Amino acid sequence: MAARRTRGMTGPDVSRSTVARAASIAEQLRYECSILLELYREKESFTADVLVDGRLVSVAPPSSQLDTRDKLWRLHSALMQCRSLLERAIAREEEELGGGKKGDYETQRKMVKDRLSYLLICTGELLKTAGGAALLTPSLEGLELDGPTALFELKLWVYRIFKEVDYWTKTAITTLEALPSVIAKERVRTSRVRTTRSTRR
Amino acid sequence: MPHLSVNPSSKPNCSTVWLISVLLGLLAVHTNANDVLTVPQQVSLSTNMDSQQLSISWLAGAATTFDLMILRTELNESVFYETVSVMVSQLSGRHEWNWTSVEPLQCTSLSIKVRSREGQSTSEWSNTEILQGSDLPSEEEWQMFPLDRVVPVGANTTFCCIVKEGEQFGTINYGNTVMNTTRLSRRSYATTVVNQGLSGSSGTNVICYNSFKELKIGAVVFVGYPPLLSDFVCETHDLTSAVCLWNERDTKLYGPTRGTRYTMNNRTFTLNLKKECRVDHWEGNWTLVVVNPLGQYSLTDSAELGHRVTAVAPENLISVAHATNATVLWQWKYDGYSSLALVCQVELTSQGYKTNHTFSGVGLRAVVLPDLYPYEDYNVQVRCGAQQNFWKWGSWSETMSFKSSSIVPEAPDMWVWMNKDYTGQVIWKPLTRRQSRGLMTGYEVTLWSPGESLQHTDILPPDTFAVPVNLTQMATASSDNMVMATVTAKNTEGVSLPASVLIPLRLTDADPCAVSQAVYTDSGFSLFWQSDVNTTCAYVVEWHNASCKWNCPVDWIKVAPGNTNVSIESANFQPGVRYNFSLYSSSSEATELLQRWQGYMQELVPSSPVLSLLTTQEDSDILLTWGHIPLISRRGFLLGYNIYISSGSQLTLLANLSDPGSRSYTVKGLSEGSYKFTVKAYTSAGEDTGATASIMLEPFTDWLILEILASLGVTALFLVIVTFLCYKKRKWVKKAFYPDIPEPKLPGDWSRSQAPLDVKPPHHSLVHMVERPEWDSSKEALVVIPEEDEDEDGQGIGDELVDTDEPTSLRYYNQVVDERPIRPRYPDSSDSSASSLDSARTDVTYTGIQTSGSSFVFQLDPQGSSEGHQPQADPSFCAGGGGGYRPQMQSRVPSDDTGSASPNSFPEPQAASGYKPQSSWQMDSPVDDREGRSRASSLGSPTSIASTQFLLPDGEDHTEEKRQPSSSAATWLTNLLSSTKP
Repeated sequence: MAARRTRGMTGPDVSRSTVARAASIAEQLRYECSILLELYREKESFTADVLVDGRLVSVAPPSSQLDTRDKLWRLHSALMQCRSLLERAIAREEEELGGGKKGDYETQRKMVKDRLSYLLICTGELLKTAGGAALLTPSLEGLELDGPTALFELKLWVYRIFKEVDYWTKTAITTLEALPSVIAKERVRTSRVRTTRSTRR
Repeated sequence: MPHLSVNPSSKPNCSTVWLISVLLGLLAVHTNANDVLTVPQQVSLSTNMDSQQLSISWLAGAATTFDLMILRTELNESVFYETVSVMVSQLSGRHEWNWTSVEPLQCTSLSIKVRSREGQSTSEWSNTEILQGSDLPSEEEWQMFPLDRVVPVGANTTFCCIVKEGEQFGTINYGNTVMNTTRLSRRSYATTVVNQGLSGSSGTNVICYNSFKELKIGAVVFVGYPPLLSDFVCETHDLTSAVCLWNERDTKLYGPTRGTRYTMNNRTFTLNLKKECRVDHWEGNWTLVVVNPLGQYSLTDSAELGHRVTAVAPENLISVAHATNATVLWQWKYDGYSSLALVCQVELTSQGYKTNHTFSGVGLRAVVLPDLYPYEDYNVQVRCGAQQNFWKWGSWSETMSFKSSSIVPEAPDMWVWMNKDYTGQVIWKPLTRRQSRGLMTGYEVTLWSPGESLQHTDILPPDTFAVPVNLTQMATASSDNMVMATVTAKNTEGVSLPASVLIPLRLTDADPCAVSQAVYTDSGFSLFWQSDVNTTCAYVVEWHNASCKWNCPVDWIKVAPGNTNVSIESANFQPGVRYNFSLYSSSSEATELLQRWQGYMQELVPSSPVLSLLTTQEDSDILLTWGHIPLISRRGFLLGYNIYISSGSQLTLLANLSDPGSRSYTVKGLSEGSYKFTVKAYTSAGEDTGATASIMLEPFTDWLILEILASLGVTALFLVIVTFLCYKKRKWVKKAFYPDIPEPKLPGDWSRSQAPLDVKPPHHSLVHMVERPEWDSSKEALVVIPEEDEDEDGQGIGDELVDTDEPTSLRYYNQVVDERPIRPRYPDSSDSSASSLDSARTDVTYTGIQTSGSSFVFQLDPQGSSEGHQPQADPSFCAGGGGGYRPQMQSRVPSDDTGSASPNSFPEPQAASGYKPQSSWQMDSPVDDREGRSRASSLGSPTSIASTQFLLPDGEDHTEEKRQPSSSAATWLTNLLSSTKP
């Protein structure tokens, strides 16, 4: 896993609204990713069962031993790699294969990139919240950002990056949906306070 | 090279020498042949993978013809085998030959060998040279060739897929198309795409799938065009540098490797978004070269700077606006323009309309725009070009807006509508924005009588365009014959000039001129009139709906002097509406009506039928009459009427009345029956729906009257004839019907008194009438009449009640009786009389056509008998009679019998309920006709008092009325017969 933790996590204290917003963005991103993949397959005459082997993003393997902060950190790191890969893919694609009239594919591609950035902001906030003042700077070291030189290989590489973004978006949704247990604790604590106040009245 | 060796020590022998010579000859021939067809040596190969070109070179001496053979190494398939002519390269001293492969050279290994050829002779094959392909076992992975190829549209390209060791080939797809493939080697498969179409910006994928349809490898091919340029031209904006422009087609090839590269005068430049090339200095000659992987294109241009000036857009436009002109000023971006002769175009836009003004001058930077409308919004743009060696217009400047100043408004266009009295309205047309010339504040209307200085002024708001006027007071107070109406408009800048119309006060109902028809054409109502050459006045044509009579919404147009026609068009014209057009002279004098027209924009059929359609029977004819159609319903000029008779649901045209003034029509020749008539008025557009009226034609009553009159005439004629015959044969008639009646013998003188002699005879006493033939009819006679009530009503008669048990008293009247004797055919008349007396209700009467009283005991005046239609009764005699016998000609009470009374004065049949005189016959009564005939036989004959011949039954009361009119005729006949008595 190419990342380094600059400060230890202080405990699960995650804002419910931030999680909800992040989950909502992740859902939206997943939907936009699916459209982007569809547009790309259509554009490049790829069938839906094109197999792309291997992961481009490298993070720690999932484990039940990971606490919330580690899960968020893992997710955040993966999404950051995705964004870097996506930006590079877009640049390479424009450089090698662009130049023509912009269409739906290019619009959708930009939309996914922007949505991924929003999701990263949310997960960063969650991570901050979970880790207190912790500052995480996932490393992109070792990430293959150049891609192949052959154009067909480049297209497959771009497709793999899109698939990677799609995969980690779904992972983000799963991860964020697993957070309600923390939120439930917050809710219980909040309701107890309200009950106490109403009793006093 | 074979070498010959000769041994000089051997002794020559002739035969031996000959043999040797032959052998040497053969050897020489053989040696020479081997010496020319040299086997190619040192065959070498070089390749250009992108162009798929294989360059083969070898050493083969002076040989020029070679056989080349190229085989796919693995399958030993021949790819190329031809005889080629190859010269020795002067540089390398080797034979070189190039071959272009259809398949990429990497697809599979190729074996190449060469041999020399001389005619049919060939040398041995050279050593085989092998070009290694990428399908060697050492390269195990999936591969595909060619990679990232750029080809022109319509090209054919062969792709090959090298299968990974241990896997199975599936298919090759070109885009979405599964291609046919050819096996080149154990692992290599190829497909050829022909006539390739344009690819997208990211190219077209050629994908190789394994037998499990898994994508394994692919390549991209870009299909586009070589560059093509046009319209290359260089110009200057700043009078120093050059800007070169051109048009080019889209090659569909993009990116740094495939996109087009540009060079201008051998200087590479990157194309900007405007697709232009800027050169800092004016070089005068330019060459543009564009290159892409498929080719290149170049264009040149040359020009002097002064001939290629395209002015930049003027900047910082400002304006100084007045009411009717404005000055527009601007600046130039470059100082060089201040000395450049410029021509500038100023585009002025107002209310959607554009006008262009052109100005010129050196360093032009200000122009004056004339002829502006006051208080008007304008937009202005400016562009310029070089005045000398004009190249083209520069760019338009940014739009600048300004508003011209306001001034006093124009005088309104006014008119006056006068009714039949002194009322009317002063009307004027709303001022347009341009006519207002500013913000309107109102109107001022003044009526004044010039001679009397009477003036009345109204100040009206700006949205008022008519004001009612009543000139009655001015007409009575002023001795002038006219009133001047003046309208002025006011805006924030002041008051307009006045517009005036002189209104004549002499009102007349008479139309001064005839009305013509105005024809509507595409350009409107075309009106023509005669012009007086001496007249310089203008005209006003006024029009309004003809059905309007009071304060009509009138429209008008003013026509300049000298014109004799005008076309009137208005959006308000409607089909089927009649419009009145009036032509007025417009001068300093009062307006004068010159001519009138009426017209329809489009004639329609009348909207309602004629009014009050009536049918009247006149004799055997039917008269149809109808009223007019109201003007508003005519909707066209009436041309006439069509008269129809309807039979069932079908209308049959009876007549066409082409006179629109017709109001009646007589239908003749119809028989009795019911008829229904329809009258339809028609215009040029057709008929209306029609008005219908019915009539039952009855027999002509005048004929009945004529028949009656004819019958009466015939009857009268018959009577005349009979009378005439009777008159001619009166002696015979008298003898036959009126034989002399013997005069009774009476003692004493009875002739003095004419009063009734009441005799009360004893019961059952009778007066015996002695018939004496020799009796003189001139002597008086006495008639015995049994006394009775003649009038059962007791109406003035019979004031003496008689007891029926008492002997009936007889009254004797000295009546004028016929002198003729009682007819002998009644021998039992006395008996009858006696029986009548027994009944006490018997009247004695004579068929009173007696002209002489000689047969009675009372001598009557023969003259009176002959002239009178009534007897000369003695008043004393009459006074004694209450209700007894009445004379025929005196059917009323005896007291009224004054001698001068006419028998016609008492025609009251009710008074005579019992006895009726003969003269009351009704000859035309069919009921009494038979009875009348029976009575005719007794006409004028004396009748016995016992006779019932002339005693009318009770039931005859109701016939009295009918008989009465005949009494005069009977009297006349009686008189006639009486007058015949000598």
